[in-house]
Amino acid sequence: MQPEKFYYDNKIVRNFGIATVIWGIIGMTVGLIIAIQLYHPAANMGNQYTTYGRIRPLHTNAVIFAFVGNAIFMGVYYSLQRLLKARMFSDALSYIHFWGWQFIIVSAVITLPLGLTTSHEYAELEWPIDIAITLIWVVFGINMFGTIFKRRERHLYVAIWFYIATFVTIAVLHIVNSLELPVSAFKSYMVYAGVQDALVQWWYGHNAVAFFLTTPYLGMMYYFLPKMANRPIYSYKLSILHFWALIFIYIWAGPHHLLYTTLPGWAQSLGVAFSIMLIAPSWGGMINGLLTLRGAWDKVRDDVTLKFMVVGLTAYGMATFEGPMLSLKFVNGFAHFSDWIIAHVHVGALGWNGFLTFAILYWLIPRIYKTELFSKKLASFHFWIGTLGILFYAIPMYWAGFTQSLMLKEFTPEGILKYPNFLETTLQILPMHMMRSAGGAMYLFGVIVMAYNLTRTALQGKLLANEAAQAMPLEPVHTIVREGAWHRRLERKPIKMLIAALLVILVGTFVELMPTLTISSNIPTIASVKPYTPLELEGRDLYIREGCSNCHSQTVRPFRSETERYGEYSKAGEFVYDHPFLWGSKRTGPDLAREGQKYGNAWHYNHLMDPRLMSPGSIMPNYDWLITQNLDTSLTKKKINAMRTLGVPYALGYENKAGQDLDKQAQGIADNLAKDHIKVKSNKEVIAIIAYLQRLGTDIKANKTASK
Amino acid sequence: MFKQFTENINGNQAYLLFSLGIFFVFFIVVSIMLIRIRKSHIEHMSDLPLEDSTINSTKSLEP
Repeated sequence: MQPEKFYYDNKIVRNFGIATVIWGIIGMTVGLIIAIQLYHPAANMGNQYTTYGRIRPLHTNAVIFAFVGNAIFMGVYYSLQRLLKARMFSDALSYIHFWGWQFIIVSAVITLPLGLTTSHEYAELEWPIDIAITLIWVVFGINMFGTIFKRRERHLYVAIWFYIATFVTIAVLHIVNSLELPVSAFKSYMVYAGVQDALVQWWYGHNAVAFFLTTPYLGMMYYFLPKMANRPIYSYKLSILHFWALIFIYIWAGPHHLLYTTLPGWAQSLGVAFSIMLIAPSWGGMINGLLTLRGAWDKVRDDVTLKFMVVGLTAYGMATFEGPMLSLKFVNGFAHFSDWIIAHVHVGALGWNGFLTFAILYWLIPRIYKTELFSKKLASFHFWIGTLGILFYAIPMYWAGFTQSLMLKEFTPEGILKYPNFLETTLQILPMHMMRSAGGAMYLFGVIVMAYNLTRTALQGKLLANEAAQAMPLEPVHTIVREGAWHRRLERKPIKMLIAALLVILVGTFVELMPTLTISSNIPTIASVKPYTPLELEGRDLYIREGCSNCHSQTVRPFRSETERYGEYSKAGEFVYDHPFLWGSKRTGPDLAREGQKYGNAWHYNHLMDPRLMSPGSIMPNYDWLITQNLDTSLTKKKINAMRTLGVPYALGYENKAGQDLDKQAQGIADNLAKDHIKVKSNKEVIAIIAYLQRLGTDIKANKTASK
Repeated sequence: MFKQFTENINGNQAYLLFSLGIFFVFFIVVSIMLIRIRKSHIEHMSDLPLEDSTINSTKSLEP
């Protein structure tokens, strides 16, 4: 048999590389802007399109799906071709994949600031974009499996299993978490409500971390680290064990995001147990990476790519140890909703994802441009300022998290809250937030230096768009003796590998989701909980549009410090009409689950116009546009119909009466405001959002009044 | 930390035991697979990233 000559496609790798750097800078800049807004709210430039609640999702989506996403495709397209000794299956599909993904990112950049959002964290994009993501993901899958089928290497290296698991699991997660009922071109309601929606969202959210930020990066680590160190991976057996254990265990751990909420206790416990188990496979990966460098640590001194790799792997080890610790109920009760979590995710994002991406870029760009890196000194500078940036980011955030949580839980000897005003605790941590933004700025500056360095590298070289290679074709399968262990056979069969990975992740998914989604007794209903009025429903959609849930939770946990501060702890039955749930995951401001009727309408009006009028020193931005903008009621009918389809008991034909009811309730609030000398027309957005805020958590109180 | 497991699982022990069982079986199966893999194969697999068969690569045409 003659060796075949073929060419690796480097151009597509280069394109994804450029996109990684550009979106990285954009995503991190948005992150810096919102970090500054947390101590200087006027940094939103008085503009609704650049206000925290709307652009915080832009930051998370840009760094996860644009920066990390493009980096994944860069790494996969480079390593897949070489591990399989084949060019990508189709240049056309590569091209569609690249431009399709950039189009999706651009549509996110446009729609999120406009307030078009589902409010599901890391899945905020509305339904048409969800469909586009699905299509492009399928294109990626066809291109990947097409390449696998025409490979010239019989066995699939461990990196490729990680890619396959990533592909199949992200597909499952994206579809299940995007089941929405469209109301208009850019508005939809989640099909699940309340606690069920929360469970689905955090099953998704947690596994997006697992299968978008972790498994593809482990795959890339298994390819690029041996390349950089020029030695094989420490233990291939360990990589097999930790691959299967990781994908099996990760999928169960989602409920640790919902501890002390109204999620059934057994599901919480299951999530905790599997989270603890996760330490083993996670550390398996880290140890395998670090031990690959044993006997080669002298190289780390001279080689900046290895320095980035070592710090990246260490950050991975720290974040994956911290994660299980945070899932212990005791620690979680203290850490959840605080800046501790922000520190935790940024150790992972900046350290693990960021540094691995930089290492790969510094290694790969000179190679495909057939030149040397423009400046090793600048790369070394990037390494140090990046590392310092992570420290200056994470340490103040840990400090802020501990400080604020301790203050919020502190009682006086007489048994009353020492800091009853939430704002006091916020003001205490502002210096830490300032330091955090300095750390973020350092990290961003390092990335800009890298962009300059890589651009100069590319300019001094010439892109080898098609790299020549030669390998023997595969023998037809029937000539191979059926020998070897099961796993060896599995490594030859990509489709079986895909099915095996799918089955492994579906086990945890079913055990965890099915009881809560199907057994109604898991969600005890409360008779006094009624559907929202049309005006409240519109107000709720404004709450979603403005991204209020990015800073305000809507779930009171059963702690004395919380029931004293906010009121009765939340019950599952209170959320049965909440499509989507709005529990939030961070308390930058106080919880709002029991906000209704706490203050008068005038208080809310003034507070939304300028929060500092009612709460001096508040870091909440002004929402003055709510006062000037008219409420759009053109979709109210359709919204009522959609909610009824989803099971909310609006009477048949109510949609025709809804407009009247809405006007009546709005007029009532406007009249009430007029008594406090606030002149506002009843058709303004602020009226609707006040109606919603005044409803929050009041149904359960109505029950009490009635039973007295 | 273990109190929560004994207190919160009333009526749902089946799920916890089922999950533990699945994980145990799964772990054993993967371990058996690992033990059955031959050393030569492991070496071949570990070396895959180092031979990318580019024409100027020294290892490209070795069998």
